[in-house]
Amino acid sequence: MTADVFLFWFLAIVTLAGGLTTIMITNPIYSALSLAFTMVGVSALFVTLNAYFLAGVQLIVYAGAVTVLFVMVLMMFDLKHEVTAFTRGKISGMVKSGIVAVLAGILVGSISLTTDIFSKSGAAPEAVIGGDTTKELGKVLFSKYIFGFEALGILLLMVAIGAVALARSKGGTHAKQ
Amino acid sequence: MPSSDLFLEVGLSHYLVLSAILFVAGMAGVLLRRNAIVILMSVELMLNAVNLSFVAFSHYMGQMDGQIMVFFVMTIAAAEVSVGLAILVSIFKRYKEVNIRFFEHLKG
Repeated sequence: MTADVFLFWFLAIVTLAGGLTTIMITNPIYSALSLAFTMVGVSALFVTLNAYFLAGVQLIVYAGAVTVLFVMVLMMFDLKHEVTAFTRGKISGMVKSGIVAVLAGILVGSISLTTDIFSKSGAAPEAVIGGDTTKELGKVLFSKYIFGFEALGILLLMVAIGAVALARSKGGTHAKQ
Repeated sequence: MPSSDLFLEVGLSHYLVLSAILFVAGMAGVLLRRNAIVILMSVELMLNAVNLSFVAFSHYMGQMDGQIMVFFVMTIAAAEVSVGLAILVSIFKRYKEVNIRFFEHLKG
């Protein structure tokens, strides 16, 4: 077993454990903590796929900013008295779990059936990008996808204004009843 | 595929299966949880799973477009979280709880 194979399995286990803990645990603060774990795991998986820039962005945006935002909002709310963390009703819960299980089976089955064909025809598996891809990423981003990039800037400005407007309407968190 | 090969050699399908399982876990969270903040976290989990499969495809096909798409998805996910949490703050102001049963009517 070579080092990168071991690294993949280790990171897969960490990421999956973090993801499952996020949805299973009842205290939302611990959910946010394990979500941060999952984000770090996904970022390390990006490193194993040679996407170094995206790994850094993932660490900064998700494991940094988004998690801090979640934790801040959780601290603002007083959520100690959570009794019904999961959906009520055994039948509907079972139906939902069944739907999820069926979807998982379909996805994994279709992946294992199609990647065989995929690797035989079409793109050769030797076309793997090696080394650092940040330079190429920048070149493509600022030439082919420049309009998308600019639109993203406008979207971020609008979202910043909209979030402030939504949270501040009727006095923010300190509203008098 | 023999089972010893499955554990000794990591390929595209490994990353895709991992991403599928993460996505399904996020979907289970969205369906089963009652706390709206945890639902938002599960949505983030699903987006991350999709990002992982984008990067895996980009790596194994030798094209950069998948990574560009991941870049866009990350930005939009951050925007979505900020707006979602702002909406949650205004709902919490009104009902003092963020259970999704307060989202049933979605008016004033």
